[in-house]
Amino acid sequence: MALLNIESPHLPDLCRTLDIELLWHPSLSNSSAQEHLALLDRLRSCEQQLDILCVEGFVINGPNDSGRYDLFWNRPKKDLLLELAPLAQHLVAVGTCAAFGGVGNIGEIEASGLQFIAAEKGGLLGADFVAAGGYPVINLPGCPTHPSVVADLLTNLVDGDPLELNDLQAPQQWFDMLIHQGCLRNEYHEFRIEERQFGEPGCLFFHRGCRGPLTSGPCNKLLWNQRSSKTNVGVPCVGCTSPDFPQAYPFFETRNIADIPLELPAGVDRAHYLAYKGMAAAAAPERLKKRKKLP
Amino acid sequence: MKRRSLTLPINRVEGDLEISVDISNNVVVKAQVAGTMFRGFEQMMSGRGLLDGLVITPRICGICSTSHLYAAALALDQLHQAEVPDNAIRMRNLTHIAEHIQSDLRHVILMFAVDFAHPSYNKRSFFAEAERCYTPLQGESAISTIKATRQVLEIVAIIGGQWPHSSFMVPGGIVSTPNSADLRKCRQLLEEVVHWYEKQILGGPLSEWQKLKTADELKSWCVDPAHKEGDLARIIRIAEDLQLDRGEATHGFISGGALPLPATEMSNSRSHLFGAGHWQAGRLKDLDLSRISEQLTSSYYRSNSGALDSLFLDKTIPDAEKEKAYSWVKSPRYADQPVETSPLAELLCAGHPLICSWIAEKGVSPLARELARLLRPAELLPAALRWIKETNPKDSFYIEPAPCEAGRGLGIVQASRGMLGHWLEVRDGLIDNYQMITPTSWNASPRDERGMAGPMEQALLGARVDNPDHPLELGHIVRSFDPCLVCAVHSLHKGNRNTLRLGA
Repeated sequence: MALLNIESPHLPDLCRTLDIELLWHPSLSNSSAQEHLALLDRLRSCEQQLDILCVEGFVINGPNDSGRYDLFWNRPKKDLLLELAPLAQHLVAVGTCAAFGGVGNIGEIEASGLQFIAAEKGGLLGADFVAAGGYPVINLPGCPTHPSVVADLLTNLVDGDPLELNDLQAPQQWFDMLIHQGCLRNEYHEFRIEERQFGEPGCLFFHRGCRGPLTSGPCNKLLWNQRSSKTNVGVPCVGCTSPDFPQAYPFFETRNIADIPLELPAGVDRAHYLAYKGMAAAAAPERLKKRKKLP
Repeated sequence: MKRRSLTLPINRVEGDLEISVDISNNVVVKAQVAGTMFRGFEQMMSGRGLLDGLVITPRICGICSTSHLYAAALALDQLHQAEVPDNAIRMRNLTHIAEHIQSDLRHVILMFAVDFAHPSYNKRSFFAEAERCYTPLQGESAISTIKATRQVLEIVAIIGGQWPHSSFMVPGGIVSTPNSADLRKCRQLLEEVVHWYEKQILGGPLSEWQKLKTADELKSWCVDPAHKEGDLARIIRIAEDLQLDRGEATHGFISGGALPLPATEMSNSRSHLFGAGHWQAGRLKDLDLSRISEQLTSSYYRSNSGALDSLFLDKTIPDAEKEKAYSWVKSPRYADQPVETSPLAELLCAGHPLICSWIAEKGVSPLARELARLLRPAELLPAALRWIKETNPKDSFYIEPAPCEAGRGLGIVQASRGMLGHWLEVRDGLIDNYQMITPTSWNASPRDERGMAGPMEQALLGARVDNPDHPLELGHIVRSFDPCLVCAVHSLHKGNRNTLRLGA
């Protein structure tokens, strides 16, 4: 549903300008069950070309690896995925669940991502899978994935331009940046002015469990619904693009040692950070201490 | 007598749904509705942090995530006995309304009316018009609806950061502090949506529409040349042509009450914009939540308690091999009866004059369910504008509640598809148990221990099918419930869970 929110171009125009024929979408197509089955047959016999296969949601393997928790025409849906994956030029995991297993990883349903289980390579298709077009599964993590990222990837693939993927097989262009970048509370973070009560101007990282400095993604570059982002309005980043999402410990709380977060911003050295944050707090200007600056 | 059995997966519903029907002499004589996927949401919650429901439950569904957030927040409000400031109630309601308008209109135009443009209808007189308006991603109404519903959701982002899947409602209020510029922007966006809704859906001004009180007045509205190009009149025309207005044998209806009123508007007799209730054959009674139970006879679950007297204590244990089971949906019952919950139920229980008149005259039908969705925004939009106006950004949006380490909380909201409940049990500061009953659990429920069919199964019984190879009629009936199976089987992740196939 988030995909319907892209603008410039909106979804219908995107499909038209890229000359994409949407073969099937569970919410948007109006083909009947028979037509859907016939389409699957045409794909299997290669009569119908499959350029891009986008998969949402985790793969359900349970119970006992049977896949019976998730059936399509009384067959495990994971078997259908195994059948279609080799036929597609490009295979795209849309969302953290399809990419890494996501929320499925904390349940009892033996979930996995298409080519990962959390940060570990493997998943349904195995570590060595490469689609016909030359790329492994292309991961677009997020819960949901930002619609502009989906739109851009489709455009990139249709154009045939080279695509740089990071270690988690996500496009570098969108995922080699942190949620923290562009957050309107950055100055509060710099000078370590912390939010202790909801609604108070301040940084959410030190006490509110914000994962922004540890999580990659373009939320604060692209903004959501053309308007804002969670961190901008005071909702801590929950790390929804991360392979370990959802985290094992409570949301809205930061695990601290000596009043400094246990997990520091990506790549930061603890001793240096302690010294830096002590000095930064001392150097904080009055307008921040008095929380006069609006996020 | 020619009798045959069909099993059909149904798309354009949220999640995975299969219906099995026996058809005899072109009439459905037996129907089973099955959720075919289990994702084990409820077990995931045990042992997690107190506030984790605010992050995890919205992710059950990509179309009504604000409803889950709202229910989760209300359950926590109750647990903490939190005082919630009026500003927060207004902002929670505003965002919920924005989501409802998105859901109601995307459903009707993109998921229901789209069937009218199916090539099987190409001999019907309405086909050219239906194709022009409702063809997937191309029809005029479809494109216009995609744009307008995208815009209304900007309101959720201004208040809550993003749509879907934000966690801005917390026990005691909301975390954000919208200023007057934010509120002005929300108002402007909403005023544009009102203008669009008048032109595209109603085909006439809201002020005129609000005068309609009876089914006859609605008929006159629809034939007025000035209103004929609105989707409301068009969909009624086409649905009547397809006899989708034919009354069904009816079950009861329930609503949990929609949109709690701020203290300034509360009275002894009125706590919600649309009051809660139980409607059965024209008689409206108070809703008694203690009469809700869940049965597992036809569902792939075992209960560890045996007795289902307390939803707070009941645990969900899957059993894919269970005998006689055919669905991953449970069977909630009200006073041991299957009941429907939906926008139609919400308006019936609130005594909406036009809807009550329509039902009294024509009975419950797929068209009646769609009509309720088409006209609900006419009630919601003015309320949202009023609540924006009444919000004073200098007043509080949050009051920190006292800490709470143990106890229970129940959160009931009217989600876009009907009554949604979150039952929360907390021990030692962590979630001990989390149970939910979603609208589609009520509507798509399988048979209970007395063999009583669920509302969707009942609606299918007796339906006429002209061509069993292409039983379009059954799709109309099932989709009129706007089923959300990802919610009903307590699965997790956004709605469009299946594969999107794209190819040149």
